[in-house]
Amino acid sequence: MTTESVAPETLHAWAICLQAGEEARRRGDRRYGTDHLLLALLEDPSIEVMLGVDLQQARQALESLDHDALGALGLGSGTDAPPLPMRAVPKKPRIRDVAQKERLRITPAAKKVLEEASKPDRRKLQITAQQVLARILSLQPPDPAAVLLGALGVNTSEVRRRLDAVTPDF
Amino acid sequence: MDVEDRNLNLSSDDPATGLRASLALHRLAERVEAKHVASARGKGWSWQQIGDALGVTRQSVHTKYNKESS
Repeated sequence: MTTESVAPETLHAWAICLQAGEEARRRGDRRYGTDHLLLALLEDPSIEVMLGVDLQQARQALESLDHDALGALGLGSGTDAPPLPMRAVPKKPRIRDVAQKERLRITPAAKKVLEEASKPDRRKLQITAQQVLARILSLQPPDPAAVLLGALGVNTSEVRRRLDAVTPDF
Repeated sequence: MDVEDRNLNLSSDDPATGLRASLALHRLAERVEAKHVASARGKGWSWQQIGDALGVTRQSVHTKYNKESS
């Protein structure tokens, strides 16, 4: 594992939110949550390396979790419908991108993750994917991101160790 | 198909599964709607007709779907 050489790129919190919102739209969700934040982070190849899973695997794992849950209701087969199309997200969003009326809202848990990721200044808008991932790793089921990481078989303490190696100041 | 064939098993004891199933049903409904709105547009339905069928205004269905299906 050679994540040491990767310098964490600073992201705009709005860019993460918009990308997470599009992942939620794709799934058919009304709000974007911690699981969608995790999908948004997986746009970054260094996060894929750190977690040992890629974006497609994570999306597929969410589909499988839904499929199993519907199966428990007796709705097994014939409940597959294609995901919705995503819209392009600007790398450096402006206020008009964020203020769109049809934008999805954030879940309280996801809001808390972003606020704590940017501590000590909770209103700071420049954060790294690693800071957000560190917060997501601390979540426990039934939080949707924690459930997703569990379904993917990600060893969170191992990932935490890799994170600390890249960013010792956490 | 018999109605009996589709009896839902709502007795699952596990809240984690049950609550996820509830959200999964919503996601499924959104996907079914999107698929059939696109299909209706393809068959020449107006936004007004689609809105009427869904019980919403022409504007709201247009705002939600025009970027995707036109």
